[in-house]
Amino acid sequence: MDYDVIIVGGGHAGVEAALAAVRMGRKAAIVTMDRHKLALMSCNPAIGGIAKSHVVKEVDALGGLMGLAADATGIQFRRLNLSRGAAVWSTRVQADRSHYARFISEYVADIIGVDVIESLAGAILTENGKVAGVRTEDGVTITGKTVIICSGTFLGGLIHIGTKQIKAGRRGEKAAYRLSESLKELGFEVGRLKTGTPPRIDGDSIDFSKCEIQPGHEPIPFFSHRSDRQPFEQTPCYLTYTTDQTKEIVSANQHLSAIFSGQIKSIGPRYCPSIEDKFHRFADKDRHQIFLEPEGNGTNEVYPNGFATSLPEDVQYDAIRTVTGLENVRITQPGYAIEYDYCPAFQVKPSLETRRVRGLFFAGQINGTSGYEEAAGQGLMAGINAVLYIEKEDPFVLDRSQAYIGVMIDDLTTRSTTEPYRLFTSRAEYRLAMREDNARDRLNRFAQKYGLVPEDEYQAFEKLQIQTEEAVRHFKEVRVKVSDLDHRGDRFKKVDSISLEKLLKQPGLTINEALPLIARFNGDIDFTREALERAVISIQYRGYVAKQEREIAKFLKMESEVIPDDFNFASLAGLKQEAKDKFIHFRPGSLGQAGRIEGVTPGDISVLSIHLLRHKRTSK
Amino acid sequence: MAGHGEEMSPFVMRYGHFVDSRQAVIDEVTAVFMPEKRSYTGLAQAEIFCHGGRQVVTLILQEVLASGARAAEPGEFTRLAFMSGRIDLARAEAVAEIVAANTEHSYSAARDHLLGTYTQHISDIRGKLIGLIAEIEASVDFPEEDISPDEKNTLLESAQQLTAEIDRLMETYRGGKIVNEGYKIAIAGRPNAGKSSLFNQLLKQERALVTPTPGTTRDYLSEWIDLEGFAVNIIDTAGLRKAGGTIEKAGQTSAKKIIADCDLVIWMIDLTQRKWREQLYGDIKMLGHNNIISAQNKIDLVDDVADLKAGSGLPEMVATSCLTGRGIKGLKKVIVQRINEKMPDLTSGVMVTSARHRQKLAAARKALKSARQKIKLDESPELTAFDLRQAASALDEITGKVYNEDILKEIFSRFCIGK
Ligand SMILES: Cc1cc2nc3c(=O)[nH]c(=O)nc-3n(C[C@H](O)[C@H](O)[C@H](O)COP(=O)(O)OP(=O)(O)OC[C@H]3O[C@@H](n4cnc5c(N)ncnc54)[C@H](O)[C@@H]3O)c2cc1C
Ligand SMILES: Nc1nc2c(ncn2[C@@H]2O[C@H](COP(=O)(O)OP(=O)(O)OP(=O)(O)O)[C@@H](O)[C@H]2O)c(=O)[nH]1
Ligand SMILES: [Mg+2]
Repeated sequence: MDYDVIIVGGGHAGVEAALAAVRMGRKAAIVTMDRHKLALMSCNPAIGGIAKSHVVKEVDALGGLMGLAADATGIQFRRLNLSRGAAVWSTRVQADRSHYARFISEYVADIIGVDVIESLAGAILTENGKVAGVRTEDGVTITGKTVIICSGTFLGGLIHIGTKQIKAGRRGEKAAYRLSESLKELGFEVGRLKTGTPPRIDGDSIDFSKCEIQPGHEPIPFFSHRSDRQPFEQTPCYLTYTTDQTKEIVSANQHLSAIFSGQIKSIGPRYCPSIEDKFHRFADKDRHQIFLEPEGNGTNEVYPNGFATSLPEDVQYDAIRTVTGLENVRITQPGYAIEYDYCPAFQVKPSLETRRVRGLFFAGQINGTSGYEEAAGQGLMAGINAVLYIEKEDPFVLDRSQAYIGVMIDDLTTRSTTEPYRLFTSRAEYRLAMREDNARDRLNRFAQKYGLVPEDEYQAFEKLQIQTEEAVRHFKEVRVKVSDLDHRGDRFKKVDSISLEKLLKQPGLTINEALPLIARFNGDIDFTREALERAVISIQYRGYVAKQEREIAKFLKMESEVIPDDFNFASLAGLKQEAKDKFIHFRPGSLGQAGRIEGVTPGDISVLSIHLLRHKRTSK
Repeated sequence: MAGHGEEMSPFVMRYGHFVDSRQAVIDEVTAVFMPEKRSYTGLAQAEIFCHGGRQVVTLILQEVLASGARAAEPGEFTRLAFMSGRIDLARAEAVAEIVAANTEHSYSAARDHLLGTYTQHISDIRGKLIGLIAEIEASVDFPEEDISPDEKNTLLESAQQLTAEIDRLMETYRGGKIVNEGYKIAIAGRPNAGKSSLFNQLLKQERALVTPTPGTTRDYLSEWIDLEGFAVNIIDTAGLRKAGGTIEKAGQTSAKKIIADCDLVIWMIDLTQRKWREQLYGDIKMLGHNNIISAQNKIDLVDDVADLKAGSGLPEMVATSCLTGRGIKGLKKVIVQRINEKMPDLTSGVMVTSARHRQKLAAARKALKSARQKIKLDESPELTAFDLRQAASALDEITGKVYNEDILKEIFSRFCIGK
């Protein structure tokens, strides 16, 4: 068996990596433990959410699968932050867990033609510092030009439930211990992180009448322009709260939790605390919200989002039954915490290729991230870059001004991991210019360059762009009589009429208010809703985007000060030792990147820039 | 040098001889060695102390340069200290100020900068700003969480308080400017009023020509004095009057310019002039300056000073005699009072003395103002955050520090987040 690209682990990262490689004309194989669990959602059955949805849109723009799969298998769709500006809107889809995995399995194996090899990879094979393939734990050798490790939470996975410890990568699944050893043997630094999940509960035992219903949004905000799903009846989620008794029980048993007993030493994410952690850290808060999310249409299982725990099973039972509406609930699966190995990401380049072994790439959880979307974004990039590596082309690296994917990989490669990393919009400096709505504007040219989307899609998008521009122009020309306006006209009392553009640009005007205004005053044009939305967003943000573009220009200037691969940081005179150590550790590829390394001062950067200048002069 | 070839222990002063390449002794010297990280620049450093004669210094320098050393450029040691991370940007600038400081107040302001009081103050403001940003970002990044970021009014209040703090800091710049650039006083008056005499009195030396002929001073004279720790620049100007020769006219034009540009005008009145009362109103009006003290000069020649009240268009009056020195002390006191009015509380040690910092503070202020406007109009929070982040990065440019992670850290410490 010989492949261009071997992917170890068919999770969210692995699937996108394989897909990209195949789209770029390469032969790819996924080595994974269970072919029916491709892209299985380990934790909550939802795709998207704040900042993550941006990544889904970006993956979609680059020909990826995640958005399409979520659209096809979603049971509820919402758009978060809709009352805010479009830059921070976030689509979130509640997907049917098993349908999602099935959809992806079929797509990857049948439509795309990726070989799925059901086996446990145990060793990475190398030859002269280059990767040569993998060997499975049962001794089969698979050779390949490149290998991408997407092993998720399975590397050295250890589950904790109270004092119980189980070696597993996910509940009921084997962990990958040999692979972890192989990485260490190759000289990789391996660290440990932790995450957790709530128990699953039986929907038939929930009293929903005591909970607040949360319906989906209409019109259904699908992720992908490629999906052809028709509107359907959405499944609601519910919101409920913990009670005083919950607090009492959890607090009284806190010492039994694996997190507090000292059994778990690694760090979990601050944004995903366990219920015991919440009561502990915010003791003055008496109740916490719990979202009840159905796991799918064909099952009664419900995911009580907000109740992650590693308390013993009997305590989990006692505690969850104090939550309003869950008084008689049955647990179908206990909650647990899991510790796993990861490789701190200073060991990969921005292309996600490892510095240590040529042709070996890391993507997803192994780089210290958490989340399906984060994994998918990295998998896609690693897949593309594996192919570019084979073709001896420059790697494809997105910068912080181009995509959330770029923000994420830059963060990973310039700072130490202190907790599992996830994206937030506040991590993106240029967030006003990087929105869900313009993901394709930002990335389409790359999709086309690398052959990730069919040509007709590209042309269809150009049409949409043209329509958007026309709509913008049109809004400028249409006049609206101030006397025809309600309170919105108050600000324009001095004039008889204003342009529709001006009306739409009013601060605080949401899209749900804007669209009826367009319909009312703009009767004769016939653009798609998407084009109109894009046009409104573009005029609302124009001034800010212009400002951000000036900042981006400054940023790009620093990014373009390239630090050569062979640059010797150790020999730099006048640089303090800490800074030297940081540079040697993270090996920044540009002055801009060097400046973002934690603990590096502007002073260090000016020393570095002087040396760089000298280096350039002497090497000419 | 004695003990040649031995390892020198750090921070121990050693005695020896400085010899040239032919082993001829140039001077008796002492020398000290400071290891890396523990010197001013942060680099390993040695200092040689020789005798003060110009010839000796030149010979030693020649010898040192001949064996491969390079003369430091102005400010290079401080730049190295900054580059090695020993001091931050604000403190590096403070060193430049300390070197230039020649009065007590400018010295102490610069010293406080160096010690980081000022940097700390800016960091405190920045910390509050990050807190405000965290409130706003929390609502953007965690819309489904059961957290309650501050309400509109609280946000406005915080923004208002921050603006006020920055305002206060910016106001110190007036004082900071005085401390750094000095306080400028123009002595003006009709010809022969005694301007040059006062100038000499303040300088305590016969610097300006004094004669009984009106129109003696034709150009201007400028000197620096130390008035209770403040650097004060006094300028003797040509007498102002209606007619006159061309040279005098030139002198008058320059006098007017100086008056327009100064911090304080001392208007000299010649009490022996019969019509001085009648002239005074018009003269003061003509000056068009908002900070004037009037010296009723030649008090020794008249019996009584008419009781003219300050206010109602007239400045504060001080009776003086530049001949006997009477009233000069009182005049100085009034001058110092006027300076102090513009000074912030010097003991707090927080004062903006650099124009660059003032400019950054102004940028932060402007961004804050725009953010407040947005909060008021209920604009979308990501836009408010945009302004506030600009304010934060303006502050960061003063101390040279940018961390993106700070905001998230703040959010997680304030709010219980996570499903
Ligand atoms: C208990 C738990 C709680 C979580 N909680 C959250 C949360 O609250 N929020 C959040 O955003 N994310 C959470 N996650 C993380 C989320 O599931 C992962 O971030 C995401 O799935 C990572 O995607 P991935 O592609 O890197 O790996 P995974 O989706 O984990 O997939 C890894 C795949 O690789 C296979 N594999 C691994 N090693 C080998 C090997 N040696 N040989 C063959 N196959 C192998 C596995 O079988 C699996 O199919 C949680 C995960 C777990 C397990
Ligand atoms: N008695 C007395 N004479 C004074 C006093 N002040 C100045 N004079 C005299 O007044 C004359 C003019 O003094 P100056 O100091 O030259 O006056 P000025 O205002 O500089 O004059 P111009 O430069 O010509 O405009 C000199 O003869 C001084 O000695 C004072 O307080 N008392
Ligand atoms: Mg004179």
